[in-house]
Amino acid sequence: MPDTILVVAEQREGKLNRVSWETVTAGQALASQTGWTLEAAVVGSGISGIASEVASRKAAKVYAVESPKLEPYTPDAFAFALKQLIESKQPKLVLMPHTYQVRDFVPKLATAMGRTVISDCVGYKKEGDKLVFTRQMFQGKLAADVSFGCEPPWFVTFQNGAFRGDKVETGAAAARVETVNVEIGDGVIRNRPQEVFKEAKQAVDLTQAEIIVSVGRGIKEQKNIELARQLAEALGGEIAASRPICDSGWLPMDRQIGSSGQTVAPKLYLALGISGAIQHIVGMKGARTIIAVNKDSEAPIFEIADYAVVGNLFDIVPPLIEEVRKAKATG
Amino acid sequence: MKQSGRHNSWLLWVALVAAILTRSYRENELKILVCMKQVPQKDAPLKLNETANWIREDVSYEVNEPDAYALEEALRQKEKHGGEVAVITSGPARAQQVLREALAKGADRAIHLEDSAFVGLDALSTARVFAAAIKGEQFDLIFTGLQSDDFGFAQTGVILAELLGWPHATIIMQIEKTETGIRVKRELEAGYFQYVDMPLPAVLTIQSGINKLRYATLIGIKQAKNKPLRKVALAEVQPAISGNLQKIERLYVPQKTKNTEFLEGSAGEVAKKLVDKLRNEARVI
Amino acid sequence: MLVFRKPLEGIERPQMPADVIIVGGGAAGMACALRLSQLIDAYNANNPDSQLSKENIYVLEKAREIGQHCLSGALLDPRSIRELIPDFEKEAPIEATVSKEAVYFLTVKSKLKFPVTPPPLRDHGNYVISLNRFVKWLGEKVEAAGITVFTGFAGSELLYGGAANGNRVMGVRTDDKGVDKHNEKKSNFEPGYDLKAKVIILAEGSRGSLTKQLILRFKLDADRNPQTYGQGVKELWEVPAGRIAPGEVIYTMGWPLTSREYGGAWIYGGKDNIVSLGFVTALEYADPRIDPQHVLQEFKKHPFVSALLKGGKMVRYGAKSMPYGGWWSLPSLGGDGWMIVGDSAGFLNSARLKGIHLAIKSGMLAAETAFEALKSGDSSAATLGQFQRNVESSWIKDELWKVRNFHQAFTHGLWPGLLHAGLQQFTGGRGIRNRYPSAPGYTHMKKLAELPADGGAEAPLLGPAKGDARLTFDKLTDLYHSGTKHEEDQPAHLVIQNTDVCNSRCIKEFGSPCQNFCPANVYEMVDDTTEPNGKRISLNPSNCVHCKACDIADPYQIITWVPPEGGGGPNYDGM
Repeated sequence: MPDTILVVAEQREGKLNRVSWETVTAGQALASQTGWTLEAAVVGSGISGIASEVASRKAAKVYAVESPKLEPYTPDAFAFALKQLIESKQPKLVLMPHTYQVRDFVPKLATAMGRTVISDCVGYKKEGDKLVFTRQMFQGKLAADVSFGCEPPWFVTFQNGAFRGDKVETGAAAARVETVNVEIGDGVIRNRPQEVFKEAKQAVDLTQAEIIVSVGRGIKEQKNIELARQLAEALGGEIAASRPICDSGWLPMDRQIGSSGQTVAPKLYLALGISGAIQHIVGMKGARTIIAVNKDSEAPIFEIADYAVVGNLFDIVPPLIEEVRKAKATG
Repeated sequence: MKQSGRHNSWLLWVALVAAILTRSYRENELKILVCMKQVPQKDAPLKLNETANWIREDVSYEVNEPDAYALEEALRQKEKHGGEVAVITSGPARAQQVLREALAKGADRAIHLEDSAFVGLDALSTARVFAAAIKGEQFDLIFTGLQSDDFGFAQTGVILAELLGWPHATIIMQIEKTETGIRVKRELEAGYFQYVDMPLPAVLTIQSGINKLRYATLIGIKQAKNKPLRKVALAEVQPAISGNLQKIERLYVPQKTKNTEFLEGSAGEVAKKLVDKLRNEARVI
Repeated sequence: MLVFRKPLEGIERPQMPADVIIVGGGAAGMACALRLSQLIDAYNANNPDSQLSKENIYVLEKAREIGQHCLSGALLDPRSIRELIPDFEKEAPIEATVSKEAVYFLTVKSKLKFPVTPPPLRDHGNYVISLNRFVKWLGEKVEAAGITVFTGFAGSELLYGGAANGNRVMGVRTDDKGVDKHNEKKSNFEPGYDLKAKVIILAEGSRGSLTKQLILRFKLDADRNPQTYGQGVKELWEVPAGRIAPGEVIYTMGWPLTSREYGGAWIYGGKDNIVSLGFVTALEYADPRIDPQHVLQEFKKHPFVSALLKGGKMVRYGAKSMPYGGWWSLPSLGGDGWMIVGDSAGFLNSARLKGIHLAIKSGMLAAETAFEALKSGDSSAATLGQFQRNVESSWIKDELWKVRNFHQAFTHGLWPGLLHAGLQQFTGGRGIRNRYPSAPGYTHMKKLAELPADGGAEAPLLGPAKGDARLTFDKLTDLYHSGTKHEEDQPAHLVIQNTDVCNSRCIKEFGSPCQNFCPANVYEMVDDTTEPNGKRISLNPSNCVHCKACDIADPYQIITWVPPEGGGGPNYDGM
């Protein structure tokens, strides 16, 4: 049997969780580097449609792991079903996205199989024949390369954004979908989940935002924050600020980024009128792309910015909002 | 004669009712274990050790933040339902501080798996030694923080549940006792939540920030000195572990090669350039 | 709207009885606790029938961990620690034994070595220590000895007995916890305890807040010289191997200060290629724009210093004031229910630049007096006043008497100061008269109108440093390396009596010097069009490193530093 990589895609209430594409991309990259075969699995009830969706991408096979007891999600049922699948198909590497749901069951699954999970990885390296997985430790201050010290199957979860979901390759032809029916006996499932619901959060969790527009002292007056808010809205992001803005009460404390506020690592961090004091930088330097606008060409923020604009933010931001709106309308 | 006979049977009834009430009160009580970890302080400057596979331990330590919230939740449950809160940690002598603080805040007893070797154990081995250390205990609930501030694996609680054969739920915001066990509120991504009914005993991993942490009082700190603190040596739990299943090959400071591109031109030109970067590089449009 | 911290009124406060409370767990407080424990142990061994208990002896320490707020150069004269723990060298954390010393007079580009090291600065037989680590070690011994150290608890007020009780000090009130920015109780509010005790020993360090209250109330400084202070700003650096030997001690004077300012630098080589360096500027300079943190940055630019630090990394920053007044500035040391030890009293030898050994000795002597009080049951001035007499007949007096006029000699500048100091060397400290006077440092501060607009020779020292981010740093970057953290949602603990003075008078007369003498960016004048001068005072209290410079140097003396919620402050690991 060839060595296989199994990507377990995630579906929630009948819809594929888009972060699964990132895991497929990871799987495809690993497959091409190791020469192993890539397979995927979707777990749930009545998920053949989702399995087909996954099968449209480059993979050798997709398993639709079916049981009426797999809906709604419970860790007992998912661990049970996947254990059966993995024992039967014996993949070498099992990949999943590091979602709240995966965190809830994959350590249980691995332990039940006498194995371990290297979780929340941001990448991997191939060192000779050995695969080594990179993860952040100490809240991003240090990186660790971790290897497996046990027999396969090896469980790995990847951090949201570690791979590009939009770069997933499409296969020449759709992959074969194989339905695997699982018998889950009475007494396996012990939790009784109720309906999922949305609730207005008291405090905004900036760590979940993909785009953040942040203001500093350069915004000069409270009323000017409206400009930044419009930009955030146009981009579909959240507004945040450096400490002095929150201390002055211009924005609530839960919008503060920095050593005495939140630490974020969004896809895009747009710093307007922020000088880049170290107390602020430590809260956002993990952002994927940093754009800074500041009048002062020597502002320390420019040292960590990917794109820098030395200029007056009141001149730059209004046309920027226009251009963003235009691009979004046409795009 | 008749009078004393009736008197006796009346007493019997009182005793029976009292026993039933006490038992059902006892049944309402919760015995909770909180697993706590001592981690380097959040803003401590970290230095790599000589072999670059761990940090130098000459830093300041503090309690893992989510664990502090787990403890607070346990103490609140005890205040509501009666019962007992025990705390457990593994690590060298310095880790005892975390237990002392917990006892000062109101935990009843503590278990310290004391040895610096415990620091190097992975989540599976840690869960195994905890399970070994609490063998024979009858907890109703075991809490852990949802993840640790140093490793950030988010696994120990879930693994412990599997080893004990108990149901579990993760990232819990709220816990309510019910007829059949507990009802918990789980946090999901993007502002979604879910209630889950679970039987006891169960393992829960607790979300950070769900309550306001209490302060230890002077009396609490003084009383903590007299609360039971059981030490467990590595040898006692060694049989439970058989080597880490994963290994940190190396630890390093992540290098970010930053080439800052300055965008020039008039405001309008810069705006267009920015949108171009937003679309093609940052890929947010 | 600035709301200042003060203990909540009209609430029930939990009580806890105590025999002895030591406020402050630094060198003096810990030495006191340890000595007291030794005396009790010895007594109990000989008196099996009437044991003294250590149960109700407490040390209150506002930091989250023992030693966390302790900062000094530091060089330890082992005389007193040797008395306390005879073979301390075997177990105490020592960075290095002093191996060589040099004193330099700096000019902008060069340095002139003193051919002979002045006797007060000879350090043979002394040790380079990290005060933070040293106090941590002492604290472990105190706890092992059975004395409770409450960390994260500050002494916020003294409790007095009232007229009926002869106005004695009855106890200490600890800080209210869980009070929000507006002085309202939060859901986790915990009232401070009223700790009634027989003996209260104030070991709060330089410019102690309870000490200040006590001195004011009972006029303990009547017919004393006013206390004067220096501000020490320190950085810990990791440098390439071989730059400086462990135990190498360097003192400098002169540049970047002019002959008008008193101060100088230290550089001590520690182990593991760690260098302790810092600059002390006396808080009695004339130009309110002088910024002691800026002075340190300027100092590092000297070719001699920058060569030492090149390629190195700054790992920690901190600042602390220190008392320079010497013997004539010591307040009354013991009274009804109280004693004052260490830097709070002012036991520092300004000529030798050493105070830790005196702090330890004073703590030990106070412990001996406290022990007598415990035995006899009397802790009135009759018993505790003995502490004063014990100090006067100890080597503390011998040492401090000889330098009793040292710092005051420099009132009129560097050169007259050196002359007087030289003379004092040969006259057992007398100089030209038995007691040189002093004036509080802030009285030397001149108004801007009286100073050259460009600052004259002091120009490089004025205002905030910009820093080049490699060798020199701006204040915020330095501050980040102090590990300072406080509960954010609490009232401001820098109590300004009247902010109108800040916004209307000080800004014009002195140019808001709080922005300069504070090493932590706590004070800021921000734009406010509703104010007469367009600016108003704004505070960042959570930046505070607890140095007390503001309490000392403010020209109007309207700032009172009180302890913030316990557990907050800098983290002086390794300092």
